[in-house]
Amino acid sequence: MTTIQAILILLCLGGGIFASVIFKSRLGYRLLILFFFVTAIAFVLFPDATNVIARHLGVTRGADLLLYLMVFAVIHGFFLLYLRSRKLERKTTEVIRALAIRDAEHLQSTN
Amino acid sequence: MLNSDIFVVIPSYNERNVLGTTVAELAPFGYSIVVVDDGSPNPERQYLSGQINGSTWYLRHVSNLGAGAAVETGTKFALSKGAKVIVHFDADGQHIPELIEKLVDPIRRGTCEVAMGSRFIESSDRALIPAGKRILLKLGVFVSWVFTGMWLTDTHNGFRAISRTAAQQIHLTENGYAHCTEILELIRKSGVRYMEVPTTVRYTTYSLAKGQSMWNSINILFDLVLRKLFR
Repeated sequence: MTTIQAILILLCLGGGIFASVIFKSRLGYRLLILFFFVTAIAFVLFPDATNVIARHLGVTRGADLLLYLMVFAVIHGFFLLYLRSRKLERKTTEVIRALAIRDAEHLQSTN
Repeated sequence: MLNSDIFVVIPSYNERNVLGTTVAELAPFGYSIVVVDDGSPNPERQYLSGQINGSTWYLRHVSNLGAGAAVETGTKFALSKGAKVIVHFDADGQHIPELIEKLVDPIRRGTCEVAMGSRFIESSDRALIPAGKRILLKLGVFVSWVFTGMWLTDTHNGFRAISRTAAQQIHLTENGYAHCTEILELIRKSGVRYMEVPTTVRYTTYSLAKGQSMWNSINILFDLVLRKLFR
Protein backbone atom coordinates (compact mmCIF):
# COMPACT_ATOMS: atom_id res chain seq x y z
CA MET A 1 0.00 0.00 0.00
CA THR A 2 1.35 3.42 -0.96
CA THR A 3 1.31 6.44 1.35
CA ILE A 4 -1.38 8.21 -0.68
CA GLN A 5 -3.60 5.11 -0.48
CA ALA A 6 -3.22 5.04 3.31
CA ILE A 7 -4.09 8.75 3.53
CA LEU A 8 -7.13 8.35 1.27
CA ILE A 9 -8.39 5.33 3.24
CA LEU A 10 -8.05 7.27 6.50
CA LEU A 11 -9.93 10.23 4.97
CA CYS A 12 -12.67 7.86 3.75
CA LEU A 13 -12.99 6.30 7.20
CA GLY A 14 -13.11 9.73 8.86
CA GLY A 15 -15.70 10.95 6.34
CA GLY A 16 -17.78 7.81 6.78
CA ILE A 17 -17.83 8.10 10.57
CA PHE A 18 -18.67 11.82 10.38
CA ALA A 19 -21.51 11.25 7.88
CA SER A 20 -22.99 8.37 9.89
CA VAL A 21 -22.99 10.59 13.01
CA ILE A 22 -24.83 13.35 11.08
CA PHE A 23 -27.49 10.92 9.84
CA LYS A 24 -27.78 9.15 13.18
CA SER A 25 -31.51 8.53 13.01
CA ARG A 26 -31.73 7.50 9.36
CA LEU A 27 -30.81 3.89 8.69
CA GLY A 28 -31.30 4.17 4.91
CA TYR A 29 -28.74 6.99 4.63
CA ARG A 30 -26.32 5.17 6.92
CA LEU A 31 -26.43 2.06 4.74
CA LEU A 32 -25.94 4.22 1.64
CA ILE A 33 -22.96 5.96 3.24
CA LEU A 34 -21.53 2.57 4.20
CA PHE A 35 -21.88 1.42 0.58
CA PHE A 36 -20.21 4.60 -0.76
CA PHE A 37 -17.26 4.37 1.59
CA VAL A 38 -16.67 0.67 1.07
CA THR A 39 -16.73 1.35 -2.69
CA ALA A 40 -14.40 4.34 -2.28
CA ILE A 41 -11.90 2.28 -0.28
CA ALA A 42 -12.11 -0.54 -2.87
CA PHE A 43 -11.33 1.97 -5.65
CA VAL A 44 -8.40 3.37 -3.67
CA LEU A 45 -6.97 -0.12 -3.19
CA PHE A 46 -7.73 -1.31 -6.74
CA PRO A 47 -7.62 1.80 -8.98
CA ASP A 48 -7.76 -0.25 -12.19
CA ALA A 49 -11.21 -1.52 -11.21
CA THR A 50 -12.68 1.90 -12.10
CA ASN A 51 -11.37 1.53 -15.67
CA VAL A 52 -13.04 -1.87 -16.04
CA ILE A 53 -16.41 -0.55 -14.79
CA ALA A 54 -16.06 2.61 -16.90
CA ARG A 55 -15.51 0.61 -20.08
CA HIS A 56 -18.62 -1.50 -19.31
CA LEU A 57 -20.65 1.70 -18.96
CA GLY A 58 -19.29 3.21 -22.18
CA VAL A 59 -17.02 5.76 -20.45
CA THR A 60 -13.42 5.69 -21.63
CA ARG A 61 -11.55 6.26 -18.38
CA GLY A 62 -12.21 5.35 -14.77
CA ALA A 63 -11.20 8.87 -13.69
CA ASP A 64 -13.95 10.32 -15.92
CA LEU A 65 -16.51 7.96 -14.43
CA LEU A 66 -15.55 9.06 -10.93
CA LEU A 67 -15.81 12.70 -11.98
CA TYR A 68 -19.35 12.17 -13.33
CA LEU A 69 -20.36 10.35 -10.16
CA MET A 70 -18.92 13.15 -8.09
CA VAL A 71 -20.92 15.76 -10.02
CA PHE A 72 -24.10 13.75 -9.38
CA ALA A 73 -23.22 13.44 -5.69
CA VAL A 74 -22.56 17.19 -5.34
CA ILE A 75 -25.86 18.10 -7.07
CA HIS A 76 -27.71 15.63 -4.87
CA GLY A 77 -26.00 17.13 -1.81
CA PHE A 78 -27.05 20.64 -2.83
CA PHE A 79 -30.66 19.56 -3.26
CA LEU A 80 -30.66 17.87 0.13
CA LEU A 81 -29.20 20.96 1.78
CA TYR A 82 -31.70 23.20 0.01
CA LEU A 83 -34.63 21.07 1.16
CA ARG A 84 -33.31 21.06 4.71
CA SER A 85 -32.82 24.83 4.74
CA ARG A 86 -36.33 25.34 3.32
CA LYS A 87 -37.78 23.11 6.04
CA LEU A 88 -35.80 24.99 8.66
CA GLU A 89 -36.95 28.34 7.23
CA ARG A 90 -40.57 27.24 7.52
CA LYS A 91 -40.08 26.17 11.13
CA THR A 92 -38.34 29.46 11.95
CA THR A 93 -41.17 31.38 10.28
CA GLU A 94 -43.75 29.52 12.36
CA VAL A 95 -41.91 30.31 15.59
CA ILE A 96 -41.41 34.00 14.72
CA ARG A 97 -45.08 34.26 13.66
CA ALA A 98 -46.30 32.64 16.88
CA LEU A 99 -44.19 35.07 18.93
CA ALA A 100 -45.47 38.09 16.96
CA ILE A 101 -49.10 37.03 17.47
CA ARG A 102 -48.56 36.24 21.14
CA ASP A 103 -46.94 39.62 21.80
CA ALA A 104 -49.34 41.68 19.64
CA GLU A 105 -49.78 45.14 21.09
CA HIS A 106 -53.16 46.87 21.06
CA LEU A 107 -52.38 50.54 20.51
CA GLN A 108 -54.38 53.15 22.37
CA SER A 109 -56.33 55.71 20.44
CA THR A 110 -54.89 59.21 20.43
CA ASN A 111 -57.97 60.82 18.88
CA MET B 1 -70.88 44.15 8.51
CA LEU B 2 -69.25 46.88 10.58
CA ASN B 3 -66.08 48.60 9.38
CA SER B 4 -64.34 47.28 12.50
CA ASP B 5 -64.97 43.75 11.15
CA ILE B 6 -62.74 44.67 8.21
CA PHE B 7 -59.11 44.15 9.16
CA VAL B 8 -56.51 46.05 7.15
CA VAL B 9 -53.20 44.19 7.29
CA ILE B 10 -50.14 46.36 6.61
CA PRO B 11 -46.81 44.54 6.21
CA SER B 12 -44.00 46.96 6.89
CA TYR B 13 -40.23 46.90 6.71
CA ASN B 14 -38.21 50.07 7.14
CA GLU B 15 -41.17 52.29 6.24
CA ARG B 16 -40.57 54.82 8.99
CA ASN B 17 -40.94 57.75 6.58
CA VAL B 18 -44.48 56.89 5.55
CA LEU B 19 -45.95 54.28 7.91
CA GLY B 20 -47.34 56.85 10.36
CA THR B 21 -49.09 58.75 7.54
CA THR B 22 -50.48 55.54 5.99
CA VAL B 23 -52.00 54.46 9.31
CA ALA B 24 -53.26 57.97 10.10
CA GLU B 25 -55.02 58.12 6.71
CA LEU B 26 -56.81 54.85 7.52
CA ALA B 27 -57.83 55.84 11.04
CA PRO B 28 -61.01 57.84 10.23
CA PHE B 29 -62.61 54.89 8.39
CA GLY B 30 -62.94 52.82 11.54
CA TYR B 31 -61.33 49.70 10.12
CA SER B 32 -59.31 47.46 12.40
CA ILE B 33 -55.67 47.95 11.49
CA VAL B 34 -52.92 45.38 11.90
CA VAL B 35 -49.38 46.63 11.32
CA VAL B 36 -46.86 43.82 10.96
CA ASP B 37 -43.33 45.11 11.43
CA ASP B 38 -41.23 42.58 9.57
CA GLY B 39 -38.17 42.86 11.78
CA SER B 40 -37.20 46.43 10.88
CA PRO B 41 -33.85 47.33 12.49
CA ASN B 42 -35.61 50.16 14.36
CA PRO B 43 -38.93 48.88 15.71
CA GLU B 44 -41.68 50.78 13.89
CA ARG B 45 -43.94 50.97 16.93
CA GLN B 46 -42.45 54.42 17.61
CA TYR B 47 -43.84 55.81 14.33
CA LEU B 48 -47.39 54.86 15.27
CA SER B 49 -47.80 57.38 18.02
CA GLY B 50 -49.65 59.80 15.75
CA GLN B 51 -53.32 59.71 14.91
CA ILE B 52 -54.57 56.13 15.22
CA ASN B 53 -57.96 54.68 15.94
CA GLY B 54 -58.85 52.42 18.85
CA SER B 55 -58.59 49.24 16.79
CA THR B 56 -54.95 49.35 15.80
CA TRP B 57 -52.63 46.47 16.49
CA TYR B 58 -48.87 46.30 16.24
CA LEU B 59 -47.13 42.98 15.66
CA ARG B 60 -43.41 42.55 15.25
CA HIS B 61 -41.36 39.75 13.71
CA VAL B 62 -38.18 39.43 15.75
CA SER B 63 -36.32 38.80 12.50
CA ASN B 64 -36.90 39.90 8.91
CA LEU B 65 -38.77 37.18 7.00
CA GLY B 66 -40.23 38.91 3.95
CA ALA B 67 -43.45 40.54 2.79
CA GLY B 68 -45.28 37.23 2.25
CA ALA B 69 -44.56 36.09 5.80
CA ALA B 70 -45.73 39.43 7.21
CA VAL B 71 -48.97 39.27 5.21
CA GLU B 72 -49.62 35.74 6.48
CA THR B 73 -48.89 36.74 10.09
CA GLY B 74 -51.29 39.67 9.86
CA THR B 75 -53.97 37.55 8.21
CA LYS B 76 -53.68 34.83 10.82
CA PHE B 77 -53.88 37.40 13.60
CA ALA B 78 -56.90 39.09 12.00
CA LEU B 79 -58.69 35.73 11.77
CA SER B 80 -57.99 35.11 15.45
CA LYS B 81 -59.66 38.46 16.22
CA GLY B 82 -62.79 37.54 14.30
CA ALA B 83 -62.16 39.47 11.07
CA LYS B 84 -64.92 39.09 8.49
CA VAL B 85 -62.89 40.58 5.66
CA ILE B 86 -59.12 40.99 5.49
CA VAL B 87 -57.57 43.66 3.31
CA HIS B 88 -53.89 43.58 2.36
CA PHE B 89 -52.58 47.12 2.14
CA ASP B 90 -49.08 48.43 1.38
CA ALA B 91 -47.29 50.51 3.99
CA ASP B 92 -45.55 52.79 1.50
CA GLY B 93 -48.59 54.98 0.84
CA GLN B 94 -49.28 53.60 -2.66
CA HIS B 95 -52.77 52.43 -1.81
CA ILE B 96 -55.69 54.73 -1.27
CA PRO B 97 -57.85 54.14 1.85
CA GLU B 98 -61.01 55.40 0.11
CA LEU B 99 -60.74 52.48 -2.34
CA ILE B 100 -60.99 49.82 0.36
CA GLU B 101 -64.76 50.13 0.32
CA LYS B 102 -64.78 49.56 -3.46
CA LEU B 103 -62.64 46.44 -2.99
CA VAL B 104 -64.69 45.06 -0.11
CA ASP B 105 -68.06 45.77 -1.73
CA PRO B 106 -68.22 42.64 -3.97
CA ILE B 107 -67.42 40.51 -0.92
CA ARG B 108 -70.16 42.22 1.11
CA ARG B 109 -72.62 41.53 -1.71
CA GLY B 110 -71.49 37.90 -1.97
CA THR B 111 -70.27 38.28 -5.58
CA CYS B 112 -66.85 36.87 -4.73
CA GLU B 113 -64.64 35.83 -1.84
CA VAL B 114 -61.42 37.39 -3.06
CA ALA B 115 -61.25 40.83 -4.69
CA MET B 116 -57.94 41.84 -6.20
CA GLY B 117 -57.02 45.38 -7.11
CA SER B 118 -55.93 45.95 -10.70
CA ARG B 119 -54.19 48.96 -12.20
CA PHE B 120 -54.88 47.75 -15.73
CA ILE B 121 -58.68 47.78 -15.96
CA GLU B 122 -59.24 51.54 -16.22
CA SER B 123 -57.14 53.43 -18.74
CA SER B 124 -56.79 56.35 -16.29
CA ASP B 125 -55.18 54.02 -13.72
CA ARG B 126 -53.00 52.41 -16.38
CA ALA B 127 -51.71 55.79 -17.50
CA LEU B 128 -50.29 56.46 -14.04
CA ILE B 129 -47.94 53.47 -14.18
CA PRO B 130 -44.40 54.36 -15.24
CA ALA B 131 -43.50 52.69 -18.57
CA GLY B 132 -40.71 50.47 -17.22
CA LYS B 133 -42.89 49.26 -14.37
CA ARG B 134 -45.73 48.51 -16.78
CA ILE B 135 -43.52 46.10 -18.73
CA LEU B 136 -42.32 44.46 -15.53
CA LEU B 137 -45.90 44.06 -14.27
CA LYS B 138 -47.01 42.52 -17.56
CA LEU B 139 -44.12 40.06 -17.35
CA GLY B 140 -45.37 39.26 -13.85
CA VAL B 141 -48.83 38.57 -15.29
CA PHE B 142 -47.32 36.17 -17.83
CA VAL B 143 -45.16 34.39 -15.24
CA SER B 144 -48.16 34.03 -12.92
CA TRP B 145 -50.18 32.54 -15.78
CA VAL B 146 -47.41 30.00 -16.45
CA PHE B 147 -47.27 29.02 -12.79
CA THR B 148 -50.95 29.17 -11.85
CA GLY B 149 -52.95 28.97 -15.06
CA MET B 150 -54.78 32.17 -14.03
CA TRP B 151 -54.74 35.06 -16.49
CA LEU B 152 -55.32 38.30 -14.62
CA THR B 153 -54.56 41.87 -15.61
CA ASP B 154 -52.45 42.70 -12.53
CA THR B 155 -50.88 40.01 -10.39
CA HIS B 156 -48.36 41.94 -8.33
CA ASN B 157 -50.72 44.42 -6.77
CA GLY B 158 -50.60 43.97 -3.01
CA PHE B 159 -54.05 45.51 -2.62
CA ARG B 160 -56.60 42.73 -2.16
CA ALA B 161 -59.56 41.84 0.04
CA ILE B 162 -60.28 38.32 1.24
CA SER B 163 -63.37 37.03 3.00
CA ARG B 164 -62.99 35.14 6.25
CA THR B 165 -63.97 31.85 4.59
CA ALA B 166 -61.37 32.28 1.87
CA ALA B 167 -58.64 33.41 4.29
CA GLN B 168 -59.19 30.25 6.33
CA GLN B 169 -58.31 28.21 3.23
CA ILE B 170 -55.38 30.24 1.97
CA HIS B 171 -52.13 29.83 3.87
CA LEU B 172 -49.06 31.43 2.37
CA THR B 173 -45.75 29.65 2.69
CA GLU B 174 -43.68 31.87 0.39
CA ASN B 175 -42.03 34.40 2.66
CA GLY B 176 -40.89 36.76 -0.08
CA TYR B 177 -42.64 38.51 -2.96
CA ALA B 178 -43.32 35.18 -4.66
CA HIS B 179 -46.38 35.12 -2.35
CA CYS B 180 -48.19 37.28 -4.95
CA THR B 181 -48.14 34.34 -7.35
CA GLU B 182 -48.57 31.74 -4.61
CA ILE B 183 -51.79 33.37 -3.45
CA LEU B 184 -53.23 32.99 -6.97
CA GLU B 185 -52.30 29.33 -6.99
CA LEU B 186 -54.00 28.85 -3.62
CA ILE B 187 -57.11 30.75 -4.77
CA ARG B 188 -57.38 28.50 -7.82
CA LYS B 189 -56.85 25.33 -5.79
CA SER B 190 -59.34 26.30 -3.09
CA GLY B 191 -61.95 27.10 -5.73
CA VAL B 192 -63.05 30.35 -4.10
CA ARG B 193 -64.69 32.93 -6.36
CA TYR B 194 -62.46 35.84 -7.25
CA MET B 195 -62.59 38.99 -9.30
CA GLU B 196 -60.46 41.99 -10.18
CA VAL B 197 -61.52 45.46 -9.14
CA PRO B 198 -60.15 48.63 -10.76
CA THR B 199 -57.81 50.44 -8.43
CA THR B 200 -55.61 53.49 -8.55
CA VAL B 201 -52.08 53.40 -7.22
CA ARG B 202 -50.29 56.54 -6.09
CA TYR B 203 -46.74 56.54 -7.38
CA THR B 204 -44.43 58.71 -5.39
CA THR B 205 -40.66 59.08 -5.63
CA TYR B 206 -40.48 57.17 -2.36
CA SER B 207 -42.68 54.25 -3.42
CA LEU B 208 -40.95 53.96 -6.80
CA ALA B 209 -37.58 53.79 -5.11
CA LYS B 210 -38.86 51.07 -2.77
CA GLY B 211 -40.56 49.08 -5.54
CA GLN B 212 -39.41 45.86 -7.16
CA SER B 213 -36.36 46.11 -9.38
CA MET B 214 -35.73 43.95 -12.44
CA TRP B 215 -33.10 42.00 -10.50
CA ASN B 216 -35.46 41.27 -7.66
CA SER B 217 -38.06 40.10 -10.18
CA ILE B 218 -35.59 37.52 -11.44
CA ASN B 219 -35.06 36.47 -7.84
CA ILE B 220 -38.82 36.03 -7.43
CA LEU B 221 -38.84 33.90 -10.57
CA PHE B 222 -36.19 31.63 -9.06
CA ASP B 223 -38.29 31.30 -5.90
CA LEU B 224 -41.29 30.26 -7.98
CA VAL B 225 -39.34 27.65 -9.92
CA LEU B 226 -37.90 26.20 -6.73
CA ARG B 227 -41.37 26.19 -5.20
CA LYS B 228 -42.67 24.15 -8.14
CA LEU B 229 -39.79 21.69 -7.86
CA PHE B 230 -39.68 21.32 -4.07
CA ARG B 231 -42.87 22.07 -2.25
